[in-house]
Amino acid sequence: MSAPSDNMPITAPVVRSRPLLIRHLPYFIGSAIVVALAATMRFDGYILNILMQATTFAIAVFGLSVVLGLCGQINLAQAAFFGFGAYAVGIGTTDFHTSYWLCLLAGCLISLLAGAVLGMSTLRLGGHYLAMVTISFQQIVTLIMINAIWLTHGPDGVSRIGRPDLFQSSQAYLAFCVAMLALVGYFVWHLSDTRLGRAMRAVRDNELAAGVVGIDVFRTKVSAFALSAVLGGLAGGLFAGGFAYVSPDQFSFAESVVFLTMSLLGGVASPIGSAIGTGLLILIPEWLRFLKSIPGLYLAIYGLSVILIIRYMPDGIWGFFNVATERWRAKAKVHAAGPALQLVPATIGGDIVLEVKGLSKYFGGLKAVDGVDIAVKRGSVHALIGPNGSGKTTTLNVLSGLYKATAGKVILDGTDVTDMPPHLRTAAGLGRTFQNIRLFRSMTALENVEIGAERPGNTLIGEGGDDALTERAMSALTFVGLGNRANELISSFSYGHQRLIEIARALAANPTLLLLDEPAAGLNSSEKLELHELLKRIAAQGLTILIIDHDMTLVSEAAQHITVLNFGRRIADGESMAVLRHPDVVSAYLGTE
Amino acid sequence: MDLALQLLFTGIGIGAVYALVALGFVLIFRATNVVNFAQGEFSMVAAYLMVVFAVDLGWPYWLSFLLALAGMALLGAIFNLGVYYPLRHRTFLPVIIATIGASILLANSVLAIYGPQPQVLEGWFETPGIQLGPVYLDSQYLLIIAVTIVLVIFNYWFFERTMLGKKLQATSQDKEMASLLGISVSTMIMITFIYSAVLGGLAGILVAPVLFVSIQMGSTIALKAFAATIIGGFGDVTGAIIGGLSLGIIETFGAAYISVPYKDAFAFLVLVAFLVFRPQGIFGERVAEKA
Amino acid sequence: MKLTRRDFAAGLAVGVTAPYVIGSARAQAATIKIGMCAPITGPAAEAGKYATGGAKLALEAVNKAGGVLGKQLELIVEDDQTTNPGIVLAFSKLAAQSDIVGFLGSIRSTQVHAMAPDVMKLGKPVMFGGTDPNLTKLGNPWLFRFRPNDSYSGRVIADYGVNTLGKKKWAVLHSTDAFGTAGGKALSEALEKLGAPSVLDQGYANQSQDFTPVVLAIKQSGADILGSYFTFENDLGIFARQLRQLGVNIPWVGSPSIVNVTALKLAGPALYGTYGVADYAEDSSPGSKAFGTAYREAYKVAPDNQSSWPYDAVTVLAAAINKAGSTDPQKIREAIIATKKFPGAEGEYNFDDKGDGLHGYNIVKNEKGNIVFDKHIEFND
Repeated sequence: MSAPSDNMPITAPVVRSRPLLIRHLPYFIGSAIVVALAATMRFDGYILNILMQATTFAIAVFGLSVVLGLCGQINLAQAAFFGFGAYAVGIGTTDFHTSYWLCLLAGCLISLLAGAVLGMSTLRLGGHYLAMVTISFQQIVTLIMINAIWLTHGPDGVSRIGRPDLFQSSQAYLAFCVAMLALVGYFVWHLSDTRLGRAMRAVRDNELAAGVVGIDVFRTKVSAFALSAVLGGLAGGLFAGGFAYVSPDQFSFAESVVFLTMSLLGGVASPIGSAIGTGLLILIPEWLRFLKSIPGLYLAIYGLSVILIIRYMPDGIWGFFNVATERWRAKAKVHAAGPALQLVPATIGGDIVLEVKGLSKYFGGLKAVDGVDIAVKRGSVHALIGPNGSGKTTTLNVLSGLYKATAGKVILDGTDVTDMPPHLRTAAGLGRTFQNIRLFRSMTALENVEIGAERPGNTLIGEGGDDALTERAMSALTFVGLGNRANELISSFSYGHQRLIEIARALAANPTLLLLDEPAAGLNSSEKLELHELLKRIAAQGLTILIIDHDMTLVSEAAQHITVLNFGRRIADGESMAVLRHPDVVSAYLGTE
Repeated sequence: MDLALQLLFTGIGIGAVYALVALGFVLIFRATNVVNFAQGEFSMVAAYLMVVFAVDLGWPYWLSFLLALAGMALLGAIFNLGVYYPLRHRTFLPVIIATIGASILLANSVLAIYGPQPQVLEGWFETPGIQLGPVYLDSQYLLIIAVTIVLVIFNYWFFERTMLGKKLQATSQDKEMASLLGISVSTMIMITFIYSAVLGGLAGILVAPVLFVSIQMGSTIALKAFAATIIGGFGDVTGAIIGGLSLGIIETFGAAYISVPYKDAFAFLVLVAFLVFRPQGIFGERVAEKA
Repeated sequence: MKLTRRDFAAGLAVGVTAPYVIGSARAQAATIKIGMCAPITGPAAEAGKYATGGAKLALEAVNKAGGVLGKQLELIVEDDQTTNPGIVLAFSKLAAQSDIVGFLGSIRSTQVHAMAPDVMKLGKPVMFGGTDPNLTKLGNPWLFRFRPNDSYSGRVIADYGVNTLGKKKWAVLHSTDAFGTAGGKALSEALEKLGAPSVLDQGYANQSQDFTPVVLAIKQSGADILGSYFTFENDLGIFARQLRQLGVNIPWVGSPSIVNVTALKLAGPALYGTYGVADYAEDSSPGSKAFGTAYREAYKVAPDNQSSWPYDAVTVLAAAINKAGSTDPQKIREAIIATKKFPGAEGEYNFDDKGDGLHGYNIVKNEKGNIVFDKHIEFND
């Protein structure tokens, strides 16, 4: 059967579903009602102020739920972005007499840029270091706000901040804020189902795998920071208009901690959680004012609660409820099995799919890989074997871009990928699985495979719309035999099945070359048989496979061509049976007399 | 020149304070991979304990000192059991937040018990200082510098030359391996927290006569000390010391020659510069992720 | 069933209004109520204690003398948490209680700025202690100041230093917050007018742990007198000690914090021989003496300006209501403005139509730990 060339992509049949806005109509109706209530219900000044504070803070906390909850990057500078927005509106409307809307827009833009810049620091840093960078950024911003009196009025603050003409009265302005909250809430709620949202979740769950699956990790993180910052800036601008007065002490590190706590209390990953956390942490202090008669008592209890929440409710209040509803929610959706999986690997580079010339990787004085040549023929199953410590996994890591080669070239299907980062290699057609399974643990099997399908350059998913992705993913899952369990979380699968899902994830991307790193590791004998069958079916579709494994039976039966490494060097290469009988190979594995 | 010498002395003095607190940070980090945001509060609590014993109850200085340190050991143990140990298997973010919560709890508990007024704690020496040529040497700062030197030597001896120290090092480098070798990891971690709390407390008691005892005294120092550990190289003891001293000097000279109000900004700018160009700090190992 | 935003917001609205509704259902007693926003928590919690103490002392005195309009006076205190949003919330909470006839605000000018729009909206008299001169230039008829503002403190410091102490080469040291910056500016301007422009204008950030660079800068400038605006006593204490350690003994005239109880305790001998402008000085007038005695008796500690202005505020407000014969805000306002030659703890009150009640400061000297009154300098413009 002739496979169509990749100049003629197979169009996936489009499954029409109701347009997005119609499906989410209940949300919009509900929001409209709340906004109307806010505009018409009689509130006294006190309640008005509390609601205003809660609404604007909630938007800032939504920002945190994006960068921290969705993308897993710590941001302790949210108050600084809040401040940018607030000061933009404050200074703009009072000193420069510019329209409120322009100032709000300016605040958002400034925050966006600042957030992107801060996000760029993630290029080299993560974890504690990132925390420190964000704290430092926050501290510097606060210091500038206090000391750059010519611009910010310094500690005096900016008073008599204007509001848009349309919403002059407090009631109207509150309704406006609530409307913004509803809009932002909608956006954040559905962000996790978009391509960017999935990328963020993948980065959060397993950054390494995300890169290998084709996601530009750096750009995703920068986007997350930028989004978080924009929301913070928007919230700040609204806050300034609401309270008509801002001063630097409201945008300090302590406030960033408050935002973070609000986020954690409700549940860091969801906007509903953010709303709950914000609401509670603004209301509770007001209810507990009586505790304030002893200075420090209220805050001491607050500190204690933070510890207790982290300890006993790590997913926050909303996460707590979510776990209970999770189980029966998952069963609700059932997906069609999708058409039979099509694998249409590209055929640009001629006979040799992967050419490795003189590859070397040194770790200081240790030569883990030393001048290795490999040539993988198109459509074959090629195995790379060797005793422990021979450099197999290192070679694989260099091939997929996780390590930088010390010397040598890697050419994939005619393209030199030697210097490319992992996600660009994947875009060029490389697919891989990991020895210790790297799936995105917070997601379902289907979502994991969908992310794989989403790799840039995948010609089999049409426009890349949700339905096409789901269909492709279902095809891949069915191909490995797990289609009926698509909506279960990874944790409910056995080790062997998780491996299959990883393979499905790689296949969904329609790669040109599939790298399998010890796929039989940890499988029992019946699972190994299943794996062998699967490899045969994959090979039958014309996909080239490079496999590393220790199981000699599997290797000798599945592979046509074997390369053997020992101490980082290639000691044998050729047709399977011949290589396995080669004296050097035998002595490498079994030793000599 | 006189100006520079005086500034140098002050810079080293305040730098030594940062170094002491930074030492506490680094030890906990090496053992548990956790940044303890409550480290500054350890210093503050110890200073208040001193005030209670030596000023309010009028007990002899040396006795109060020992009691305060004993109190800090107890606090370190409670902190480990209450905050770190239950969260030891989680990722670093919940632990960071928990330590932030602990710092709020500690600061405000002291506030609730003792009240908001700053307190005076007398220094160790009768004479407030010596005039050495053009430079005035505050005696408490001299004491701080001396104690820091002693502690550096002590740390080196303890970690490199004693069995317990080596066990602590082993635990911090590879918990699994250490436990396989028969080292009780939980005991080692407990010892680390106790030692760090005592160190932090010592820093607080030493610096209290100069900075006065107040609820906020811990947090400002701690933030700078944290910056110092990063500049020196996170996870490295020598780095913490050098980082602390450097920061004290940079700050003081920056304030004198560039701008006093932006003094704190220098610390953070230097920190950011290091994080961008050399995140491993002066002495640390390359920061890289393992595949 | 997913928790929709609507459900949550409805629940939030109910949850928010419930305690308020329950609270206001309590029976009203036959008292005249005054509201007070004070820092019960936060960095200024100490000041809050003194402030409420002074207010309560005045309350008892007023009630013993027969109360207001025949009824007893009651004080309702709300915590402003020492933050700007905090005081806005505290004030709006008090403002919601329609039977409160007058309010005491903050000694911190940024907080008064923050609550000013709400004060304007409410239209009831608010007494405050912040010294930012701008606060009485906002065009807000409901703000009444019970301490002399910083344009006066600057002029008094300059006047005393140049004319009485005869020194012309000034170093001006001030914190970079609102209070310090405005004060420093006022002092510098006053010095210009007296023909003695400053040779050093040095700002410092609050909560510095070390003042060596500042002291050295003062030394290098060749100044023969120091004028200062310190916000926090911690900083003052550290600076004073380091100043003396590095051998600087020029005359020093400082803003009111220099004679604060806390500052004296922290700095000890380092502050002997310094001068301060004090809006409250115990020996400056019969009124201040009486307040001092009463305060000591009640609280066993010496009073300072953190407790004196709330005392005066309650006293003047009570007197104004009695004079006006009603609790109508406009009438109370007129009565306050008409208050002239009223002897208070802070001094003699002569209200101008902008809301400033005091127009001068006392100079006091630190004689080996005792604060001794020197003279009063008043401006009539």
